[in-house]
Amino acid sequence: MTQSPHKAADRKSLSASFIARVGLMAALALIFSYVEAIIPYNPGVPGIKLGIANVVTVVALYKFGARDAAAVSVIRVVLAGLLFNGLFGMLYALAGAVVSLTGMILLKKTGLFSVTGVSMAAGVLHNLGQLLVASALIEDLRIFFYFPVLMFSGIAAGILVGIASTLVLRTLR
Amino acid sequence: MKQFIRKADIILFIVLVITGLAASAALTLSHDEAGSNAKVIIESGGDLYARYPLSEDRTVVVPAPKQISVDAPAADPDESASAQYDYYNVVIISGSKVSVTEASCKNQVCVKHGAISRPGESIVCLPNRLVVRIENGSEEGGGYDSVTS
Repeated sequence: MTQSPHKAADRKSLSASFIARVGLMAALALIFSYVEAIIPYNPGVPGIKLGIANVVTVVALYKFGARDAAAVSVIRVVLAGLLFNGLFGMLYALAGAVVSLTGMILLKKTGLFSVTGVSMAAGVLHNLGQLLVASALIEDLRIFFYFPVLMFSGIAAGILVGIASTLVLRTLR
Repeated sequence: MKQFIRKADIILFIVLVITGLAASAALTLSHDEAGSNAKVIIESGGDLYARYPLSEDRTVVVPAPKQISVDAPAADPDESASAQYDYYNVVIISGSKVSVTEASCKNQVCVKHGAISRPGESIVCLPNRLVVRIENGSEEGGGYDSVTS
């Protein structure tokens, strides 16, 4: 993966271009969150989501670096939580976002995986993070019965998001 | 962006799928074992009606709360359940499985539900406000308190 030329310059300070870029991407991600929130589909198990908004996070990670991706992701989760998902939904999503972002950054650093692979791992890690928070909040480890379901849905959603991100990154380059 | 998928991706995919399958297998197995000192909890109208060990076979006729509060007729063992109460459910524990075999309600959802055998499972009859569930004897206060998305 080639490094973005913007990255080195923006590392230390909150430059205007960083703020503008992140604001733009966060807004885009929020629109995706909204679109996803209004699609009436019910998979039966709570926590199964496509997570289209993560396309923006993945693209931000590969095009602008970890700092942009983290900023976009956190801003998007907080805003979507306040607007659509409620406080507890936000808490779960925040945990998932932190875990999956960390995983994505680490996996990307290894250089072994494609965008699709990184995104797939992120999908699984996102669900795992949510599950950890849920088990801590509910104080019942039996919630881990959801684990296999969330695992497979995370793989599927992550692959789809990864393919979409690859296509976007191709066009952007 | 070289390509969509690389070798490491496929390895990762296989590892994740195997983890998922192993986890579901482990959960299914551990789930089945849990029945050794499991209890059958019968709740009627929101209150505990009875608690029986899952391992003992028995047949219980549970009157609906309406009938208990108004004029509960004296239980006559010779009469069939339907003659004793207007509103009732017949719960049968047999071979470590619990099922509702008869119900006074119209929809018969609880009867059609079939047998349950694992902790955490439940049969519910809404018209008669009956809940039959299985709990693991060792853990107190089983079942989910709440599940959110």
